[in-house]
Amino acid sequence: MADPARIKTESNSEKSLAARESPKTEDIEEVPVTSDADTESKDPSSQSLKQDSVAGDDEDEGTSDQPASKKLKVEPEKKKEKRQKVDEDEIQKMQVLVSSFSEEQLNRYEMYRRSAFPKAAIKRLIQSITGSSVSQNVVIAMSGISKVFAGEIVEEALDVCEKWGDTPPLQPKHMREAVRRLKSREQIPNTKHKNILFH
Amino acid sequence: MTEEEDEVGFDEDLDDGAGGADGNHGKRKRLFSKELRCMMYGFGDDQNPYTESVDILEDLVIEFVTEMTHKAMSIGRQGRVQVEDIVFLIRKDPRKFARVKDLLTMNEELKRARKAFDEANYGS
Repeated sequence: MADPARIKTESNSEKSLAARESPKTEDIEEVPVTSDADTESKDPSSQSLKQDSVAGDDEDEGTSDQPASKKLKVEPEKKKEKRQKVDEDEIQKMQVLVSSFSEEQLNRYEMYRRSAFPKAAIKRLIQSITGSSVSQNVVIAMSGISKVFAGEIVEEALDVCEKWGDTPPLQPKHMREAVRRLKSREQIPNTKHKNILFH
Repeated sequence: MTEEEDEVGFDEDLDDGAGGADGNHGKRKRLFSKELRCMMYGFGDDQNPYTESVDILEDLVIEFVTEMTHKAMSIGRQGRVQVEDIVFLIRKDPRKFARVKDLLTMNEELKRARKAFDEANYGS
């Protein structure tokens, strides 16, 4: 199972490697600890990946004289195996991480995983806008990305809060500054402003 | 006391754009208060987030859903919202795109598992 998580502490290589799953960080104080754990755990996984690719090269040399169609059939399977192995590594790492959580971290992690928007309310909201019924998958997708959206805002607001030297419960001013920042990065959709091209 | 409601209304008016141009959001019943509180805690806020912050976040989420719905209605099959449209709109945002793909894949797996389970029960 994959979860969106704070990307702030990760480097871009990890983001592209496992676009869907990255270890989660809890409180702001925890960030340095887990980022160290990330860089440590990244090395063995990248090593294992290098070994895979070396083995793959050997195999390629062996099958180079075989018809191209056979080689094409082997490659997606190799990629699938590699992806499954990466998945298993990620799952193992997550298990190690979660097993070392304190009680407060466990509570927060449980809330993070379990909280969700009520499907009925989202469905009602979408249908009130479209005027026609929508499929279940649409409601699932919309609730999912809304949760990611809420997470992005809260994370940005926590960054603002830390930067301004305040402490957690987030205040409206932090939320507003977070929205302002996200708007400038175009992460908040806004179709109300029309760009007039030739003024 | 109506003080809290007045404060919320005050915030909505001062809000530059997050709550939308019209100030009606303060009057609408709160749809997601409980869930948003849990969510904010899960994402790193305090265990008891401020009500005003929760309200701001709810307005933002509702605006997000509204914008996405309008955009989805305008592309693909006009006037309808389909999953493909949402996926298309999200394609540039890696996090949301990956999340939607995962959710839909898991949903398919669950449906298949439930179907297999039901067939196993009926068959003898």
